[in-house]
Amino acid sequence: MSLFGPNELIEDVINKNLCIGCGACIELCPYFRSYKGRTAMLFPCTKEEGRCYAFCPKIEVDLDRLSEFFFQAPYSGAPLGRYRSIHTAKAGPKADAGDFQAGGTVSALIGFALRKGYFDAAVLTDKEGILPVPRIITDPADVSRCSTSKYTSAPTLSALNQAVRQGYKHIGVVGTPCQVLAVAQMRMNPTAEPDFSDPIALTLGLFCTWSVYYRAFEPFIAARVDISRVIKVDIPPPPAEVMEIYTAEEKIEIGLDEIRELVPDTCSYCIDMTSEFADISVGVLEGRTDMNTLIVRTERGQKIVDEAVAEGFLVLEDMPGENLEHLQWAAGNKKKRAFAKAREEGMINGAEGTRSYLRVDPATVSDCIA
Amino acid sequence: MSELFDGKEGTQHLLMGNEAIARGALEAGVRVAAGYPGTPSSEIIESLARVADKANMYVEWSVNEKVAMEVAAAGSFAELRSLTAMKQNGVNVASDFLLHLAGSGTRGGMVLVPCEDPGALSSINEGESRYFARMMELPLLEPGDFQEVKDMVKWAFELSEELRMLVVLRSVTRLSHASGMVTYGPLPPREATARFRHEGFVLDPQEGVLISAPVGYKHELQQGKIRKAREMFENSPFNTYTGPEKPEVLIITSSACTLYSKEAVHLLGLKDRVGILKLGTTWPLPVNLLTRYLSLTDTIFIVEEVIPFMEENIKVIAAERAAEIGIKKFYGKNDGTLPMVGELNPDFVIGALCKILNIEYKARPDEYTQAAQNIPFTGEAPHRELTFCPGCPHRASFWSIHNALELDGRKGFVCGDIGCYAMAMLPTGFSVVKTVHAMGSGSGIASGFGKLGQFHFDQPIVAVCGDSTFFHTAIPALINARHHKADFTLVILDNSGTAMTGFQPHPGLDVNALGDTVPSIDIADVCRSMGARVEVRDPFDLEETRKVLNELMEDEEGLKVLILRQICTLSPEKKAGKKYEMSINEEICIGENCGCNRLCTRIFRCPGLVWDTERQVTKLDEVICIGCGVCADICPAGAIQRKEAGIS
Repeated sequence: MSLFGPNELIEDVINKNLCIGCGACIELCPYFRSYKGRTAMLFPCTKEEGRCYAFCPKIEVDLDRLSEFFFQAPYSGAPLGRYRSIHTAKAGPKADAGDFQAGGTVSALIGFALRKGYFDAAVLTDKEGILPVPRIITDPADVSRCSTSKYTSAPTLSALNQAVRQGYKHIGVVGTPCQVLAVAQMRMNPTAEPDFSDPIALTLGLFCTWSVYYRAFEPFIAARVDISRVIKVDIPPPPAEVMEIYTAEEKIEIGLDEIRELVPDTCSYCIDMTSEFADISVGVLEGRTDMNTLIVRTERGQKIVDEAVAEGFLVLEDMPGENLEHLQWAAGNKKKRAFAKAREEGMINGAEGTRSYLRVDPATVSDCIA
Repeated sequence: MSELFDGKEGTQHLLMGNEAIARGALEAGVRVAAGYPGTPSSEIIESLARVADKANMYVEWSVNEKVAMEVAAAGSFAELRSLTAMKQNGVNVASDFLLHLAGSGTRGGMVLVPCEDPGALSSINEGESRYFARMMELPLLEPGDFQEVKDMVKWAFELSEELRMLVVLRSVTRLSHASGMVTYGPLPPREATARFRHEGFVLDPQEGVLISAPVGYKHELQQGKIRKAREMFENSPFNTYTGPEKPEVLIITSSACTLYSKEAVHLLGLKDRVGILKLGTTWPLPVNLLTRYLSLTDTIFIVEEVIPFMEENIKVIAAERAAEIGIKKFYGKNDGTLPMVGELNPDFVIGALCKILNIEYKARPDEYTQAAQNIPFTGEAPHRELTFCPGCPHRASFWSIHNALELDGRKGFVCGDIGCYAMAMLPTGFSVVKTVHAMGSGSGIASGFGKLGQFHFDQPIVAVCGDSTFFHTAIPALINARHHKADFTLVILDNSGTAMTGFQPHPGLDVNALGDTVPSIDIADVCRSMGARVEVRDPFDLEETRKVLNELMEDEEGLKVLILRQICTLSPEKKAGKKYEMSINEEICIGENCGCNRLCTRIFRCPGLVWDTERQVTKLDEVICIGCGVCADICPAGAIQRKEAGIS
């Protein structure tokens, strides 16, 4: 992984429409800001090396190096990445009630960790209308306001950078695969800050096949319903192929084909469906609206899950083989398509001195595509 | 005591050119004076306003130059002497009325004083009003020194009354803003009576109606007046010749160039070889006088600034009289001897004379010239850039406008206007302004951009104008925009006065040029009455200003107005006060490191903040910091700190 600065970030990511607006470069400095889903550079910065570039999940991501750092093994290329165990899960009886997507596993775990003091803050994504809004949450009672999926890409990590600046030392982060990738890079202290200590207590990754660009989504929805009346947006698990927009009075269904038109191009380069660099990954469970899929990847992830189960915040069940098979098939397909596209466009393992989207053992890429 | 008014007849005074113009008007018994502020003209009306009471005058800062000329014309129509003053492009604004006034004629002596700015030292143009005199067929006078400035103004009123037409007396920056000795003449009695006679025969110039129709009759009458002016100019004492009987070169010049020409001839020791014909009456040109002097030599050198106005008109005379005076060799602008842009100085004239006469002259050693040219690059002189003053509300306003446009991300831009804030096309205003033309044009251009939606135009449009500019000419453009449903956001940078030209009052304030309390007109009310959405904010509240701007830019079609109100730092009301005591905590200043990279001294660049290259921290220049507190809000580390200052 080579280190560059804001000008290369603009050239490699913003100008090439690879930016997903994850917020990793926001709140580090006064130059980058996010507004309504779009990342903007306000003024030119002349730094040749910067955290903005180092944290970005869309450029110079060294998968093997990251994997070695977190899993002590090279990037596997397996559809679901490296993990310890996989389950189905839902919030336990002790967890706060709330309006959850599926089983409420994420809210239950975050609420538990905050209550137990494992986190001094959680970085979550709230919403104002249909606009996702990053939040630093310290009171477990506030977790539920950030529940339910947003479907539009969000600058959640701006709140993480803010939380770090405010001095929080044990932060729990909930993010999409791209955000989780950025967090993983942050934790490696790529710019070699002298006083660095890893502020992340736990990364909770979400499953994601794509997200929608807010600036396309807003007018799209506004043309169909008064946005100020929207109270919830949901995409029920497959085989349903619709997005549901709820107001107090009605539910509007929009075919996912139409929604996919609003997905930014950058999502088609994403190799990760299940947040492979998280401590714990959570997603929907096909065919069930009351349960989640839960992947435990690290020791500290395992510890929190075990405690949450023991204390009644989480209920686990075995993952049915059929579901696991289908999840692997879906995640593998996403990885295969993205690797193939990136490789075809020369975005992987560029020559020395050039900058690349990804760096990873070429054999792994070939295996994934095969 | 006002020296301008109370100085005794026969005494000498050091006057600025604009004061000399005012004194000349006072000696002529001027009763009505109106203008719109504009450098280099503003001190004329200001000087007259100060003595208005003593001199029994009515003086006003009008809403714009056209209205100023109309107000002054009314004085003339009521048989009073009147004056209107403005900068060069003000004549363009007034020109529609000027055309008709030239046709209708005047009664009381009326003088238009345009003060021009060759080299655009305080302008964004170097427009020429001399051509207006010719185009509108009006007499044009150009004084050549400070005594003449005063004397010619006085005479201009007499000439105007004799011809019953407006007389144009042109000044330039180097006369208006330089100073020289002037001997005073007597002042007339204080009393005056105004009366507009309109019941006589319609064509009676003193008692009929004042109108430029019947056009054929009136136009012919006007041209007759110009012929009469030409005859009078043949013997004018303001056209003078100095030099030998048979010069090798005849310089023909006028205005400030007279001084440059004299200096050049003196420095080169050419008084026995070069003659100078100084013209005070430059339109219509005195043909016989010129024929006489053109006969003296075959080498003619015409010295004037910017466009070759005299040169071309003199060449016509030389052609017409060629049989009598022979073929001449002309040096001037058309042959490249002098530049066609910018102001002149003695060096230009010296260089030209050396070329014409093939002589060697060096005003200063080459090494000196070289060293002088290198100063900006050697660091011997401090770097100075065109920038807003410390604590200027415009810097804060443009910071927010810039950030709102960048966050919006649709390639929005600002249509600029005339005021200090035109500098926002430079880094001091974060280069957001992309068009600057005449006063009020920002709103007019934005109104046009705002109707391009049908051609897939989707860039947000922001126009800016100052409070004085709003009243001057933005209002009609806004009415146009609202009426035609043009979609843009106007930001009115309301700093409570005509700040750039020296805080002259405007209709938004409750005081006039004479210091009287008068009704003020509320800008927000005016905009609301048009049906615009109007928001008012304090530009020093950066985030709130940015937020409302983004909201307005995203608002559905139509005219939106954001008034950013914060009084100019240099205004007399604000000058002594400091709202905050500022300090810098050097321990937490991030400096050039990742996370700041000198945002305050590299981008925000208030002159009150200085980068200490040795210690690698920002420091405060306490001498010039006015304590607005804005930089505390842009510092990402909280290193720039403010605390409420005791009101001083």
